[in-house]
This record gives sequence, structure tokens and C-alpha cells, in this order.
Amino acid sequence: MNNARSIRFHYLLRAVILLAFALYIGHLVQQDALHYYVAPKLARWIRLCPVPLSLMALSLGLQAVLGKSSVLCDCEHRLPRSGLGSSALYSLFLLPLLLGFLLPDRALGSAAAARKGLTLSYTAAESGSGAKFTPSNPYEAEFAELAGKLYGESVIPVYPEIFSETLGAINLYKSQFEGREISVSGFLYREPQGAGQTSYAVSRFLVQCCTADATPFGILLEPGTQISLPADTWIEVRGKLHVVLYQGVETLQITPEVLTAVPEPSTPYVYTSADAAAAWEELQP
Amino acid sequence: MTTFSPFKILPLLIPAAFLLTIGILWLPGHPELLNNGYVDTFKTAFLGILLEALPFVLLGALLSSLLRVFVPDEMISRWIPRHPVPAILFGCLLGIIFPVCECGMIPLVRRLMHKGMPLYVAIVFILSGPILNPVVYGATLTAFRSHPELAYARMGLAFAVSALIGLVIYATIRKSPLRLSIPREGGEEHHGTTRGGRVVAVFVHTSDEFFEMGKYLIIGCLLTAGIQTFMNHGSLTAIGERPLGSYLFMMGLAFVLSLCSTSDAFVASTFLHSFPAGSLLAFMVLGPMLDFKNSLMLLSLFKTRFALYLFFLIVSAVFTGSVLASLWL
Repeated sequence: MNNARSIRFHYLLRAVILLAFALYIGHLVQQDALHYYVAPKLARWIRLCPVPLSLMALSLGLQAVLGKSSVLCDCEHRLPRSGLGSSALYSLFLLPLLLGFLLPDRALGSAAAARKGLTLSYTAAESGSGAKFTPSNPYEAEFAELAGKLYGESVIPVYPEIFSETLGAINLYKSQFEGREISVSGFLYREPQGAGQTSYAVSRFLVQCCTADATPFGILLEPGTQISLPADTWIEVRGKLHVVLYQGVETLQITPEVLTAVPEPSTPYVYTSADAAAAWEELQP
Repeated sequence: MTTFSPFKILPLLIPAAFLLTIGILWLPGHPELLNNGYVDTFKTAFLGILLEALPFVLLGALLSSLLRVFVPDEMISRWIPRHPVPAILFGCLLGIIFPVCECGMIPLVRRLMHKGMPLYVAIVFILSGPILNPVVYGATLTAFRSHPELAYARMGLAFAVSALIGLVIYATIRKSPLRLSIPREGGEEHHGTTRGGRVVAVFVHTSDEFFEMGKYLIIGCLLTAGIQTFMNHGSLTAIGERPLGSYLFMMGLAFVLSLCSTSDAFVASTFLHSFPAGSLLAFMVLGPMLDFKNSLMLLSLFKTRFALYLFFLIVSAVFTGSVLASLWL
């Protein structure tokens, strides 16, 4: 069992670490950098975390400075006894803080997409289910409605707010979108392939909760396209949609007419939308 | 009182990593060394998982410490039915009332057990809580728009597996497998005298729990982020070609990815083309029950032998269950 003095020391050290965590979260919020790590619906909760963290730090500090020695005991939660154990424990907690403060915040890009495997065809349903945009089950109704709205556009816009839904809807009825014009932006993805052949795609990461579940979604660009831009450049592509066989699967592909580099958007990831068709209506100018 | 555990060596790896980081930063060319895709991906994944878990761990620690300070010992045991079958149903329902992610679960469950919740009910709660709740059900339905039956199967299988394991634990385990056998607490006389009284006590306990769980959480996040950074999904899919291989592969993937139960359905849906539906089910039921992050936390809560027994029960029940369910899917 530790004596009262070493318990006071542990408490003070812990108070400092908790405060540092609170400060780090405050720093992320202030820099507007939380979205590099978690989805907005979760960021709400993380913004609240500094409150309990500083209350905990304050209580620990109070206990360490003012607490009577008789009430300080580590009988329930054993504190590390050896110097080695303590330094292991506290350096473990310092590690995320160091990483967070020292390295720049950067969005996931091509390297991560290559390892996770770019998702090119989203829904599993067979394409062209007979009549125009009729859902084959009630769960496809949202996509069918969105597809109907998309079809009315002369150049189909892919809004970041409903990025995955738009690609999903087009994928579901891909044969009907054959030859239609689309405009989409994302980072340039270069498929790492042997034999001198490269295929390009325009892609974005869909984040559900945090970056651990980030899934890269994208559309292939026609292999003949000459692209001199490096991978991870943010681009905007306009061109015609075609259905091709890629690695044995029917996949959408864009034949680019215009391909321009654009600045990285302030929110590099895309998120899911509860009702894509309603979101579409709101996004109309 | 002190039991030897091989996992006590794990934290020693961290000072080494820490020194390595400092060493790299000391090198003259460190901006170039650090400026590669791996470091960025690692940092983003590591902090992403950690930040995601933070609110839930804090909530779990806070609830646990509120229970410790304010709820008398006998209250919890009075609520829980005596007979095992209704008690197991009660454990499953708890998940619907407290939709806490699995990271917040362990400190809460530990406190509930010290307040008299029987072991098998606690296990049922740990297993079913992260899956059997409305948030996860909704997320799964959204991810599998064209295959809603997978969402029903996920809920059904999670219920069946946790109830079954609860019954097995009820029938086989008699001795308490808790790592720290804490004497029944007489919290009142112990903390009545602190300055600032109970409020300070609540927060001091919360931070004790936070540091207790936090070390396992951070180690789990480090391992997960490392795997996410260096593992290539594409090269592994070859294992999934054979029917049996696909189940083992998806279960292994669920274990190493340590995704949150509200988001794993979406990741599973991207495998819909290449893997049978049953293996996706195994992925979505196993992941929330057992992954890197929470197996370390379970090892901190239970004695190693019991924890390994529990892991074995979970893996075999999920595997059998999802193969059986695939006949119907």
C-alpha cells in the first residue's frame, strides 16, 4: 500500500494529465479539427468531455492538497507501487497527447484507401430492376426517390452532404444512368497496380463514428485519361457515366471531359444523411 | 492479493515506444521521417478511436462512481429476479435502457457486480448491451438497406448468444472470477470525512476508474491503429474464398478492427459482394462482444482463466449461431 505522500503525488500527476486531455480537446475544438477524427454526431459529446475532465482534475487536486492523510488510501484502486510501473502508466497516457499536439492534423488519403480497399460498387442489388426507379423492397424507396430526382438533372451534381447516398442511388440503377453527365469532387486515388497499368478514381471517405470505420467510396475514371496530378490532389471531375466490367464486377466509370484541381474542402470526409431525398430538396438552389 | 498476469508486461512496451518517439523527434531529419502516409494514418486512426471512446468511458466511470457513492449495496440485488431465466431477460433488457458503447460498459458492470449483480447477469449485460439497443438496430438497417433480414438476424443472434452464455455461466461458475476481490464497501464512514464531501468523492472515484480502464483502452487503441495502418484488406480477402475461411476471416477482422457497434454494420456492408451473409452476421455479432479493446478490459476485470473461458464461449457460440443462421438467410 502506498503512503499518503506518494498518493498525493499520484493525484497531482493525474490531475495534470486530465487537464492536459481537457486542453487538447479544447484545442481541437478551437482549431475546428475534431472533424478529422470523429463524425459530427459524436463530436457533440466530445466537446462536453472537458467539463467532467476538469472537474475530475479539480477534485484530485483538492484531495491531494487539502485531504487529510487518514482518508487517502488506495485500498480499492491500487496505484502503481514501483517507479517503473508509474512511468509506464503515465507515459501511456502522455502518448496520445504527444501525438496530438506534435503532429499536424491531416485527413486520410490514398494510402489509407489503398489498404482498406476502395469501394466502387456500393449496393449489392442487381442493377436495372425492370421499371424505372421502382424499389424492389421498402428499404430501397429512399434511393429510388433520390434516383428519380437525380435523373431530372442535365448534369448530375454529387453533393458532399449526400455523397454516399447519391453514389448508392446511381449504382442501384446504373444501367439507366448510362451515358448521363455527372459532376463530382473528391481526392484523386491511384490504384496501386503492377504491370505499369494504373487506374484512377475520384474518392471520398465516409465516416460513421470515427476514422477507424472510415470507408473510401469512389467512382473509377476511364483508364485512358492522362492525369499529371499527384495522388491525393483534390479534383473536380465532369464527364459521362458508363457501366464497365472492372475486376469482374459491373462498375460505374466516368469518362472525364473536364478535370480540375480544387482546394481541399474544410470537411474532407462525408457522412451519412438520415433522409437523402429530403436533404436533396434542401440543397436545391 | 497480487495475482501474476502476463499482461502486466504489456505496459512495459509503452515506455519503449515512448522513447522511440522521442528518439525520432530528436533526429535531424525528423520532418521527413514523420512525413509519410503511415504516421498520418496511424495518428488519425489512433486518436479517432480514442476520442470516440472517451465520452463513453467517462460516462461509464461517472455512472459507476455515482453508484458507488450514492446507491446502497442491497438495492441492485433487490431489483434482479432470483430465477435465472427472468434474470437473463433482465440482463438483455438493460442494454435497451442504457445504450452505452462497450467501452463504457466495463467500469459500470464492475460496480454493479460489487453491488450484488450476479455474475451471469453481468455477463449477459456486457454481451448484449452493445448490440441489443435501438441505436445499433437503426444503424444496421440503414447499412443493409436491401437486406433488412440481416439486421433482424443480428439482433436475434446477439440475444440468443448472450442468453446461452449467461445460462452456461450460471450452470458452471460458482467462484467469483473477479480479479480484485474488494471487501464489501462501507463507503459511508470512509468518505464521509473528505473535504467537499461526496461530490469530490464522486469525481476522485471517476478519475480512479478512468485511469484504471484508460490504460487498457489506450493499449487497445494502439494495437488497433497499428493493424489498421499496416493491414491490407485486399491481400486478406483471398482467405475468404472457402466457405469456412470466410467465417474465420470475418470474425478475426471484427476482433482486430475494434469498431464501435453503431458503425460496424456499414463496414460489414462493403463486404457484401465478396462474403456470404452468414459471415457478415458473425462479424457484426462478434465485434461488439469481443475485440482488442474490450478483451483487454475484460482481462482487467476478470481472472485470466475465466476471461479465456469467456472468449472461447463467445467465439464458439457466435460461430455456430451464424452458420446456423446462414441456412435461413
